[in-house]
Amino acid sequence: MTLNSSCGSPEHPVSRRGFLTSLAAMAGTAAVADMTAIQVLGAPAVANELRQQQKRVIMLWLAGGSSQLETFDPKPGVPTGGPFQSIQTSTPGIRISELMPKMARRMRDTTIIRSLNTRNADHGSAAKIMMRGRMSEADIDYPDLGAVMSREMGLESSQVPDYVSFYTATEGRSMAPGHAGFLGARYGSMDLTTSMVPENIRRVNISELDHRERSELRNQLSGMFERGRSSSSLDSHNQAYRRVSGIMANEQLFDIEREPQRVRDRYGPTLFGRQALAARRLCEAGVPFIRVGRAWWDTHAQNFESHQEMVPELDHVMSTLLDDLDERGLLRNTLIVTLAEFGRTPSINSSVGRDHFASAWSTTLSGCGIRGGTVYGRSDASGNRVAEGEIGAARLFATIYRALGINPHKNYYIGARPIPLTDPGTEPIREVLA
Amino acid sequence: MPDANPRNLRNVREITRRDMLFSLARVPNTSRILVASSENKVLELDAGQANPTARELADHGRYVTCVRLAGNTVISGGYDNRLIWWDLQANRQIRTNDTHTRQLRQLAVSPDGSKLASVADDMVCKLWNVSDGTLIRDLRGHEERTPTHFTSMLYCCAFSNDGTKLATGDRVGRVCIWNVANGERLSTVEVPSLYTWDATQRIRSIGGVRSLAFSPDGTQIAVGGVGQIGNVDGLSGPSRVEVHDWARRTRVHEFQGTQQGLFNKLVWHPQNHWLCAIGGGGNGFVAFHNMANRTMIHQMNLPMHVHDSTFSEDWTTLYHAGHNKIVVQEMRP
Repeated sequence: MTLNSSCGSPEHPVSRRGFLTSLAAMAGTAAVADMTAIQVLGAPAVANELRQQQKRVIMLWLAGGSSQLETFDPKPGVPTGGPFQSIQTSTPGIRISELMPKMARRMRDTTIIRSLNTRNADHGSAAKIMMRGRMSEADIDYPDLGAVMSREMGLESSQVPDYVSFYTATEGRSMAPGHAGFLGARYGSMDLTTSMVPENIRRVNISELDHRERSELRNQLSGMFERGRSSSSLDSHNQAYRRVSGIMANEQLFDIEREPQRVRDRYGPTLFGRQALAARRLCEAGVPFIRVGRAWWDTHAQNFESHQEMVPELDHVMSTLLDDLDERGLLRNTLIVTLAEFGRTPSINSSVGRDHFASAWSTTLSGCGIRGGTVYGRSDASGNRVAEGEIGAARLFATIYRALGINPHKNYYIGARPIPLTDPGTEPIREVLA
Repeated sequence: MPDANPRNLRNVREITRRDMLFSLARVPNTSRILVASSENKVLELDAGQANPTARELADHGRYVTCVRLAGNTVISGGYDNRLIWWDLQANRQIRTNDTHTRQLRQLAVSPDGSKLASVADDMVCKLWNVSDGTLIRDLRGHEERTPTHFTSMLYCCAFSNDGTKLATGDRVGRVCIWNVANGERLSTVEVPSLYTWDATQRIRSIGGVRSLAFSPDGTQIAVGGVGQIGNVDGLSGPSRVEVHDWARRTRVHEFQGTQQGLFNKLVWHPQNHWLCAIGGGGNGFVAFHNMANRTMIHQMNLPMHVHDSTFSEDWTTLYHAGHNKIVVQEMRP
């Protein structure tokens, strides 16, 4: 089953009724799938303990491919290095671009991985790889990180969604939408595109009292129908209604206007900043996975000016988010993943741009389970190749899972067929784990 | 002597380089040029030779973005936020100024050679005495932030032919006209067509005012850059020039090149024979416009994105510096 994403674009209008109906159907299907097709190898007690720890992920998705040379792997002084200098960070020996002074001051919770070689520099397929941690296969539809987190960390009793994705720019939105794959649509994303508040949960023409009375009537009728019957399908429908009702009751979670002005000022006026603040609110409320898509970094021309425009925003938003999570005691259980589908070429083209590049690029992990103030891997002097510690998407994902306490070697099962969470033989990068 | 004819424009020399050259000045009455290099230095070389050896002058330690010559003094600026003043004859550094707080973008020397204007991403234009390097005044009229709260940039500046007025142009399309004598802002001209803010597809911007030139009588200002771009990933908009009556704040003329990219340089012939617009996207281009009847005289492509150009005194030779190349062109009568 595939999720009809409520992307909100004119091409995909989704009515409230349609949303509720599909959500109920999704939940029902997923519940059936859970019991008949997909099983998780591992003691339920372990899984439950993990869930109770409320581990979460916020992914800052730099869609289009930000430049590692203008962010986390600067190469000043070489022909490929560009015009910007590197600056010393709070961790001796680690330097990042001068465009990121705020992150430079708070490296204590962050590890930089400078040795990604993901071998795919096409936006669409690379985005899928970096969201799922592996290449697509003809007969296996892999879930992305958000869906896995939804599956592993989502609480059955939760009244908030398990996977929320903000992606407002239209470019690249369709290249890596939230994707539950074989896990089933129950673990799919709530996609927020045109608005920061899910349009379909707004109680537009119905009062709180009407809403409660209707809910009570539904419960009464449902209870009468259930009497003497036992069905997983009925349970899942009720579960779905409870979840939808919970989400509706938590509409204010998405409303950053409820934050004090000083907090909103802290995140800044840009869309990325406001969505990061919304992500923090959702994280605080227990949403296991939130992606904040910041598009579009595809700087084939005027790379340096575009990065001069966009990197300070990333620096501000990322550092503010880390500070805010830390101050609220959330950072130890929240992993911030700053990731793109690829990086950008060391060579500078005639339009003073950098092109797609997947051979030696960077990502960062911050917070939960991470040994901060570290760098893993190294690109060569020109930035053209990985010189040390080469990893691909699978190893990055194994590291992410391990940081969150999820066994990267666990299997899901489709029927009797074991499907490992990461590619077989893939080990986490122990050097960056706390 | 008959006037040089743009229709006779032809390439006479290409000098291949590994660096990007962002700015160009020429030693008067010679083919010796000074270029601002991505390899952090100001270089002097003879563009009359096929394979010239470059002599290193000022070292900025970072990209050099602008170089101009005032008498015997070479002045350069770059991403190090500094101005370096260099005695060309004695081949030594005279002084440095580091009062700009962001990278410098462009320099202009007044026609009499007495004053220097510098613009930088601190959004300040500074006016200097060339003779002793003292600061005359700061000119502030450009916002540090774009309307959508991002960092802005101050790209270019140009003096009028009589040296009494100075124009400065920024990323969002604002042009300020200044009284050089007292620093008064005489006018502000908005040219939003040169700035593309993509709020829907890519949520970032491109463009800006990249070149300026006063008309010979100083009443009009030509403003160059790139028109509105559908896909800001590249320079896929039309190269564009607008001409404004700056006192009345009205647009009197506009033209778009057939090529896509930025017009990085504008030169308005002192007898109003033409307005020359030069720039690039993936490659380069040069176009001559008749400003009297508003027609295109001639245009041609160049083998590289051109960042800066300069003419010889008799207007017959045109020197271009850009991406990995220097090109010399001639247009005989």
